[in-house]
Amino acid sequence: MSTRRLRGGRVFDPANGIAGEVRDVVMRDGRIAELDPRAAVDEEIDASGCIVLAGGIDLHSHIGGGKVNLARLLLPRHQCTPSALATGRHYAEMGYTSVFEPAMAASDARQAHLQMGDVPIVDHGAYVMLGNDETLLELLAQGADPQLVRDYVGWVVHATKALGVKVVNPAGISAFKFNQRKLDVDEAHVHWGVTPRQVIRALARAVHDLGLAHPLHIHCSNLGVAGNIASTLATMDALEGLPGHLTHVQFHSYGTEGPHKFSSAALELAEALDAHPNCSIDIGQVLFGQTVTASADTMRQYANVDFASPHKAVLADLDGDSGCGVLPFRYREQSYVNALQWSIGLELFLQVRDPWRVVLTTDHPNGAPFTSYPHLMRLLMNKPFRDEQLARLHPEVAEQSALKHITRELSLEEIATMTRAAPARLLGLRDRGHLGPGAAADVAVYREQGNAEVMFAHAAWVYKDGEPVVRDGEVRASPVGATHFAEVQFDAGVQRLLDARGDAPLGLHRHHAVIGRDELCACCNGGRLFAWACEPRSP
Amino acid sequence: MRVGSVEWTCPFCSLLCDGFALASREGALVLDGSDCPRARAGLVAHQSRGQPEAFVDGAVASLEAGLAEAARRLAQWRQPLFGGLGTDLAGVRALFRLALRTGAICDHADGEALAAGLRALQDRGQFHTTLAEIRARADLLVCVGTDAVTHYPEFFRRCGLDRDDTPCRRLVFLGAEPPTQLPAHMETPRIAGSGDLLADLQQLATLVGAATCRHADQELAGLAQALRAARYAVLVWEAAALPRQGALAVEMLHRIVMLLNRETRAASFALGGSDGAATAQQAFTWLSGLPLRTRLQAADPEHDPVRFAGERLLADGAVDGLLWTWSWTPERLPSVADLPRVVLGPPGMGPRLRQAGAARDCVFLPVATPGLNAAGHLFRTDGTVVPLVAARDDALPGVDRVAASLLEALP
Repeated sequence: MSTRRLRGGRVFDPANGIAGEVRDVVMRDGRIAELDPRAAVDEEIDASGCIVLAGGIDLHSHIGGGKVNLARLLLPRHQCTPSALATGRHYAEMGYTSVFEPAMAASDARQAHLQMGDVPIVDHGAYVMLGNDETLLELLAQGADPQLVRDYVGWVVHATKALGVKVVNPAGISAFKFNQRKLDVDEAHVHWGVTPRQVIRALARAVHDLGLAHPLHIHCSNLGVAGNIASTLATMDALEGLPGHLTHVQFHSYGTEGPHKFSSAALELAEALDAHPNCSIDIGQVLFGQTVTASADTMRQYANVDFASPHKAVLADLDGDSGCGVLPFRYREQSYVNALQWSIGLELFLQVRDPWRVVLTTDHPNGAPFTSYPHLMRLLMNKPFRDEQLARLHPEVAEQSALKHITRELSLEEIATMTRAAPARLLGLRDRGHLGPGAAADVAVYREQGNAEVMFAHAAWVYKDGEPVVRDGEVRASPVGATHFAEVQFDAGVQRLLDARGDAPLGLHRHHAVIGRDELCACCNGGRLFAWACEPRSP
Repeated sequence: MRVGSVEWTCPFCSLLCDGFALASREGALVLDGSDCPRARAGLVAHQSRGQPEAFVDGAVASLEAGLAEAARRLAQWRQPLFGGLGTDLAGVRALFRLALRTGAICDHADGEALAAGLRALQDRGQFHTTLAEIRARADLLVCVGTDAVTHYPEFFRRCGLDRDDTPCRRLVFLGAEPPTQLPAHMETPRIAGSGDLLADLQQLATLVGAATCRHADQELAGLAQALRAARYAVLVWEAAALPRQGALAVEMLHRIVMLLNRETRAASFALGGSDGAATAQQAFTWLSGLPLRTRLQAADPEHDPVRFAGERLLADGAVDGLLWTWSWTPERLPSVADLPRVVLGPPGMGPRLRQAGAARDCVFLPVATPGLNAAGHLFRTDGTVVPLVAARDDALPGVDRVAASLLEALP
């Protein structure tokens, strides 16, 4: 039982329409509370000269699972592959309090939860990958009833304790196992005869009908390929109006114009988003330096093996449901392609009008480590700083980038939207990402100053569930984070389908396929479990 | 006779077979549905259910007294080694916290085999596959320098080679004697090679890459052709069966796989990581950011795969205390008896330490065996985490509880 009052900070809470008002924020027993300003509290914190935000929410960061560990083994001790312990601490230092692993292979769910359970302080959860599993592809090849598909998807979410569903290169990871080297949205999988469009449509429908809050999380076809804007737009079209979240769109917004046949299609994507209110995005910004790319997209990662730097790569075909490709990569300012990637990400941030449909990410560690978020925020908020950086890049990009003419500077309110309010809303976390009464008391306080990078790198105070975890940018307490997962309803008769497939669905005996609550709790180090009940929607 | 049998996942090798059943006959647990010698041996080793006893320097002690004395000694060691590390995930997590506090160097009992695979991965990477993928699509399986089944008796069955619908048409043994029992309905040629596996792999890589090679071994040339013609070839290797400088062989094998993938599909599959080795390697890596053979210090952990090899440190007398953890067979004792030790092992290990004259300067604490008398999680050799169930309850604490108690009891 404790009550704390943050007094006199400038509050940015876009979900509740508060944009920089000086006001108090009260935390009582782990929740935001309304309290008379004169009422006594256990502790009063002078937040004058500070900005006060809800704790940050990263909805796409690779923090747990087999490929994350392969990256650690491949590049030990690099800042792009921090340990689980360092991951939680660095996120907390920056004022982030929830982080979601976007690519949990169904057969690797236990490992993902185990690793996330060892990430301290921040709450976590994961999206389970479907759309390359032989079970779904076979169902679609047979023209299965959408209700059966829905029940199967529901069972996988239930079995793996996922918060959402992701699809990576729809049908493409599987196709690569059959030696197919590329797969466009309307091209058929060489073995199953299924197209990515069919997979997208079936999964988006299932996710919607199950009542999952987070729209289907989509890593589109043709990642990194010049001209892939066409497949990105075709993917949006395949949704047929159903909700979809397109992830790391920077890697999917490339045209084929110019002397290098590689150009920015950021504006086309921004315009398509205006026309598709059912779609949201996160960016996957590229920043310069050494990192490692880790993706389930074996097909596309394999295609880039010769570009790995240092030159080594770990790839894998996994359990009839997924894949894995881990390649070290160094983004260079003087590389035309890398410089343009950097520019395209920023163009997307600045050209999409509705901040509620854009989430700030680097697709950690693929575009850059998450620790570079403060630098990215400064680029977005400061036009002269951005121009200075642009001038250092490959001369053709520096000369021709649309960025030169974009004057927009994101406001603190917009940053708060893209890093708190919007991701919370897109994930259906009703009591996160805002500072209204009853919300979880996950709060970040930053000392206001001209340099956003310095400000956001080290929070002055961070509170997790109302308790202090960071003071002056240093971690003071490392509580165990909670696990968010979805509780879905599905017809248990789907079990017959799974029994018939033996251990095919998850690479494990069917008796061990489902992670129970007690087991999840043990995997997650005894952290709290937040089960989000889903109300089925009628088809 | 399946009456009274329970579904069981076998913890005694890294295949972690999860289709088995255990029956209880006259008080003993008997394997049902398999004749795997490794599983049977594991069960027989744990048949005796005598009263578990802790001891301090050979004298029987209560668990509490043993814990307190072990913590007191552990705190005095200036450079401890945490060896063995034969435990499950929860045990590794708890030992990690204890190691962080005591500045211990950590290595698994089979760390040498782990290090060879890791070195090859770190140098050039790899392209690997899993059991389910092999079952679904491997049409050519090549066992390189191993017959696979001596140490992993269920391997071919786990690859689905006994099924009528297996896509596998050919099972090749390169530089290894084929086992006596082989799957039916497929060719099972043996390629003797030159007796030098490294040289043979080198030649195979050349043949796979360029298709021509002067004075090529005809059998190797045939194998290269078969690999290129296969739709999905899998090269199987075994960490513990590698020749000296094994990392070089693994690197060559990975190179062959990468070359094949330029035109067709291929992958490697490693057999290894049993007795919690893969589990310790993985969990230490995510917890500290570094693999085993690391000295854990809160500020700056230090990794050195050569200098921090556990057996080497013991042989050189470079540590002043050993915390040995081995939850599996009671026979695997620490390799040294003249160093202060704290030993966590199954109840049957205590008497063996005494018999070996290794009870002096030693605190022994009995622990449960995950998958036998405790639940738990282990990494399968292909990277999947498999849950274990307890087949019986012997009221023994797990390594996780003992290590947590030690941490709490440290002065």
